[in-house]
Amino acid sequence: MVAIAAPEVSSSDADLPSGLEALLRHPAIWRGRSAAQVDVVSSGFARLDAALPGGGWPRTGLIEILVEHLGSGELYVLLPALASLTRQQAARWCAWIAPPFEPFAPALAAHGLALDRIFVARTESPLWAFEQSLASGACEAALAWVPRIPARDIRRLQLAAEKGRSLGVLFRPREASRESSSAVLRAAVEPTEQGARITLLKSRGGSRDDIVLEWHASPRAKQAHGCAVRPESQEGVMNTAHTAGPHSDSSAPHVAPHFPSKGS
Amino acid sequence: MSIRATRTGHARPGAPRLREKVVSLPTALRLPLEAPESEARELWMGVHLPWLAIEALQASAPHAESGNSANAADPTRTAERPGATRNERTVVRPPPRAIMELQGQAQFVVATCERAQRYGVRPGMSMAAALALVPDLDIATRDVVRERQLLEQLATAAHRFTPRVSLVPPDGLLLEVKGSLHLFGGVESLCQAFEARCAEAGAKPFVTIAPTPLAALACARAGEPRLITQPSQLIGSISSLSLLTLRWPVEVTDRLKQIGVYTIGQAIRLPRAGFARRFGRAQLAELDRLTGRDSDLRERFNLRERFRHKRELLFELEHHEAISGVLEPLFEELGEFLKARQCGVTRVACLFGHRHVPPTRCVLKLAAPAANARHFAKLVGERLATLALPEPVRWCELRSGDLVPHAPDAKALWQPGEHGGGHSAAIPELIEHLRARLGHESVYGLRVVEDHRPERAWATADLASAGESKKTAPAPVRWRPYRRPLWLLPEPAPLAQKNGAPRLRGPLELLSGPERIEAGGAGQCSVARDYYIARDARGVRLWVFRECRSSGGAANADPHTAAAARAATHAWFMQGVFG
Repeated sequence: MVAIAAPEVSSSDADLPSGLEALLRHPAIWRGRSAAQVDVVSSGFARLDAALPGGGWPRTGLIEILVEHLGSGELYVLLPALASLTRQQAARWCAWIAPPFEPFAPALAAHGLALDRIFVARTESPLWAFEQSLASGACEAALAWVPRIPARDIRRLQLAAEKGRSLGVLFRPREASRESSSAVLRAAVEPTEQGARITLLKSRGGSRDDIVLEWHASPRAKQAHGCAVRPESQEGVMNTAHTAGPHSDSSAPHVAPHFPSKGS
Repeated sequence: MSIRATRTGHARPGAPRLREKVVSLPTALRLPLEAPESEARELWMGVHLPWLAIEALQASAPHAESGNSANAADPTRTAERPGATRNERTVVRPPPRAIMELQGQAQFVVATCERAQRYGVRPGMSMAAALALVPDLDIATRDVVRERQLLEQLATAAHRFTPRVSLVPPDGLLLEVKGSLHLFGGVESLCQAFEARCAEAGAKPFVTIAPTPLAALACARAGEPRLITQPSQLIGSISSLSLLTLRWPVEVTDRLKQIGVYTIGQAIRLPRAGFARRFGRAQLAELDRLTGRDSDLRERFNLRERFRHKRELLFELEHHEAISGVLEPLFEELGEFLKARQCGVTRVACLFGHRHVPPTRCVLKLAAPAANARHFAKLVGERLATLALPEPVRWCELRSGDLVPHAPDAKALWQPGEHGGGHSAAIPELIEHLRARLGHESVYGLRVVEDHRPERAWATADLASAGESKKTAPAPVRWRPYRRPLWLLPEPAPLAQKNGAPRLRGPLELLSGPERIEAGGAGQCSVARDYYIARDARGVRLWVFRECRSSGGAANADPHTAAAARAATHAWFMQGVFG
């Protein structure tokens, strides 16, 4: 990766001529770890901000969040950023395209989201609605739940997000990490006891380590607050996936949170 | 237009005798001569359309054809413009054209194109004489209805320049432009802008400016592009014009000719009382209005309240793309129509006519008033893609709903989303676009409802006021954020249980609870549930509840032992998923 090989910018910038320094500060120039001057919005979590390139979620572009199961904490990771985006002065909208269940409005309001800046679109063709929302320029952020998506469509979504200057968040199954993607940021989220563990699979100069965030306060696990960043291999994380044994209830209804139509 | 050819330098033998015969002036006609003001109160733009009869037939020709052949009429039109006659690439030059009208027994020429005029064809000639001059003369019959339509179309377009527009049928327009001059950069550029707008509609006008409407019209009819802005110059400028430009009855002009009065200036110099007695008070009053002694009230041309335009097709169309292409000019016209009125519409209807079955309707309802033609075309395109037409389309009609006042969008320096960029006006467009494809109910907002039952604590919100950035009070929050799930199932899903404990692909671990929610009182929707936050074997947090039909203190007991002790009728349900 180029990002790792690049020299530390803070040390090398000191002896640069001022004109070159100004040139290098241009947002279109990417110089490894921290040179990318992207417009960001704080994620609301100090540990996550420290790991993300630029110190927060990008304001423009497509990011992918990969989860094994819905409800792994992927929405809690985004909520503070969405709240600040929808609460800002003259905020644009936040589109929820084809969410798996009904967004529970009181809970969203409790997390600080402005409900009058949110709309939900139920559709069988989420990609089309997602692309329209991103490219229209009317949305601050657009969230879409899409189980299967070809790589070239991701490129289109990325271009649409740049055109509309909006943040696109694509929730995809964990298996999609094997496919290539042109999203600016890819993160895998998995549940932990008190929150979630985030792995940045792809980022322009972000941290490669796992980030553990906690929000479910539990009296049993107060001692675990100390660890900020816990390096862990990706394979180890995968082991938490549950395999349904023969003893599991066959009578259980098919409502468990998972991505529909995985094709398995 | 052979006005100037009839003017000759005759003596005026009748004029002195007339002056002697004046006995007493009628007092009503004795108007005080006002000192001319230095600045004109009004400035009128007179528009004369000498080729209206020809242009009306040409302008409507592309409308009758399909979209592909619409461009075919353009070379014809350019070839007749004076600048384009020497275009060598035009291999086949269209023949000179004349418009005929049946007057009595014979056909007479009423209008000619410029080329036919150069060959000597004049209005008033019989058809035989015209054909003798130009054997390959292209002859068409006059269509008065289309002329009126084109005139009204131009009057509508003229509302871009001023709200005070009057029709002067059959071939003239009057615009009061005093207040608009500074907006269009003076007299010359205003006239040029108007001529350009007329050229778009396929008409070539004579445009003049004068302080009185009649003077402006007279100059325009004489074909002299005069721009008179000072009232003091008015009489001097128009006195050389022929009296024929005033279009008085033929008897009056003939009698004036007999006494050697051919021009407006000569008529003005005649004694007023005798003029009124001999040639009629109406003509004297007209002279007063012409020179500005009397006020000239003009009836305003009122714009239509609704847009309605039909387009007949030469070919039956089946493909959506072709139909969209046919609709596009209609939407352009609708956009112009709305722009001239500073209005928007919330409802647009498209009708597609078929050969056998009644027309198909396609009605667009918009979330906010819109006036953008491109936006309409996009929405109808989305609709057309899903619309099933029973038969090929023979004609299209576009109708607007009631007009709603609508301020045009102002362009901001910062784009929405950039720092300092304002609230985006694009959201109603986006929502309508999504709704046009997905259905109206599939796109909705969210709101909080005051209810303890979770499934009733939220409702869909209408996005009709989506364009307004109104600030609603934040919803009241009664509990800590992480106590409630972010996702709610449409219906509570029953869970399996084993020894009273809920299971979902393995046993569920109850993390917190119970939290008793009771609501509804004695009604049929009464609810009494014990809610728990559970975690399944994969680490996903769920919101589950247990129906508690038997009221009692069981809710306060330890959940594990209490659940095991409870009867099997107390079923478990899953209602939500934490994000």
